[in-house]
Amino acid sequence: MNFLYFDPGLGAMIVQAVVAAAAGVLLFSKGVMYKIKGFLGLLKEEDDTYDSIDIDEKEDTDDTK
Amino acid sequence: MTQNNTRPHQASFRDPSGYMFYDGDVLRRAINPIYFKQYNALKDGGFFKTLIKNKLLVPHTQTTVSEHQIVITPEPIAFITNPYEWSFEQYKHAALHTLKVHKYALSKGFILKDASAYNVTFDKGSPVFIDTLSFDFYEKDTPWRAYKQFITHFFGPLVLASYHGTEIFKMLQSHIDGIPVKLIASLLPGKSKLSSTIYTNIHLLAKMERTHSEDYKAETKIAKLSLKAQNNIIDNLFDFIKKLSIKQETEWGNYYDKTNYNDTAFQGKKTLIENWVTALKPQRLIDIGGNDGTFARTVVTKVPHVIVTDIDSNAVGYNYRQIQQNKETNMLAFVCDVLQPAPGIGLNNAERNSLVERLQCYSPDVTMALALIHHITLSGNVPFDRSAQFFAAFSKHLILEFPTREDSWVTSLLVRKREFMNHFDFYNQEAFEAGYTQYFDIQKKEIIPGTKRVLYLLKNKV
Repeated sequence: MNFLYFDPGLGAMIVQAVVAAAAGVLLFSKGVMYKIKGFLGLLKEEDDTYDSIDIDEKEDTDDTK
Repeated sequence: MTQNNTRPHQASFRDPSGYMFYDGDVLRRAINPIYFKQYNALKDGGFFKTLIKNKLLVPHTQTTVSEHQIVITPEPIAFITNPYEWSFEQYKHAALHTLKVHKYALSKGFILKDASAYNVTFDKGSPVFIDTLSFDFYEKDTPWRAYKQFITHFFGPLVLASYHGTEIFKMLQSHIDGIPVKLIASLLPGKSKLSSTIYTNIHLLAKMERTHSEDYKAETKIAKLSLKAQNNIIDNLFDFIKKLSIKQETEWGNYYDKTNYNDTAFQGKKTLIENWVTALKPQRLIDIGGNDGTFARTVVTKVPHVIVTDIDSNAVGYNYRQIQQNKETNMLAFVCDVLQPAPGIGLNNAERNSLVERLQCYSPDVTMALALIHHITLSGNVPFDRSAQFFAAFSKHLILEFPTREDSWVTSLLVRKREFMNHFDFYNQEAFEAGYTQYFDIQKKEIIPGTKRVLYLLKNKV
């Protein structure tokens, strides 16, 4: 079903398993650090104007009837 | 021209799902039957609706439906900027935007099949995704096919820029499909390998690409990747990019302290500009060399669309930040070097239009070039009639500030010419007027109070 009009790169397809594993470890340790920092009151406010990666899904509940 | 007064858009040929075309002056998107299933699923499941509502995707309306073709009409974008014209922060936001769209797609059973940096541009003060057909169905346990593209278009250039400065983005002009992974890896310092994110996403990727470059028969089995694992990649890239910063000192910081304005002069200039612009009632205005948008902001509430460009990427970045904070939806900032404007690139030099072509298409009612002419003339050695020709190519009215020889900036630029100083004797008002009146009529001319600078209002003879 998927059609491909550019070469995704075989190496790039294979490497993702390793990239994901490293990312998983990092995200987990960040999560732990976040909790510790939060507990100690050391969390800093972000200064970038772009918001989070997640979309506010509440907004679309009323128009997906 | 073909029948019905339609013609294809020069940048739209890579994806078989559909193509963009001009129907008269209106830009529309045709969808081929091969993509009907995806399109209908995206439309009926409320996917497009949510993305549009959250201002992530350019809004569109469905225009016609037949068994051979569906035509949709996207909302027009005032002016398209390309990745090599973005400041660091804009580039970063375009990357974050792409990841956000992909993550949402994954949560709804789709993928972003194409992570080209040209699928994002800036409109209404924020990044927006403009390729409505970049989505496909997610197939269980498959890796992200656009992953490498994301690295070569977004992640690589951003990481490189964080080490080497935003000049790196200009490499995208010579690499329309992103900077090759191998090149990114070779340009990064050895210490970058200590970051597990950079190591895996760039250095290891480059290595794997090299190892598997001779798999001509596509025999190697592609590994599986769970949805959770793919989300980890995206989340980690998002966190990493969001924290990327750039250490790049430039002039903009205290520019207005350094220049020759005391408060009266500053106010005087603002008032003159405000009055002249207001009287012209422009729909579109561009300020070239507009720094962080200080003077464009004096008229931003009176003009429906305002563009500010500057050669200084930091000034553009600072302006972009203000646009975001003040929610100035009618202002657009981008980087441009007047002496080397972005060329037309890609197939037939027409896939991405040159800056001059885009400016002609934008057709600003007012162009402002404030305290720019001495840089063009004295630093760039451009004769007056030639810079006049440049402005005349797209401007109706031109408000130009001419610093005379007595101005301290001009004096400093002249002194730096040392023994060639006399070659620049032509830099005076008479020669300026002689050059510019070849293309423009002088409508107004006033000395900015308390300065050695003259403000001109010029009208294109054409």
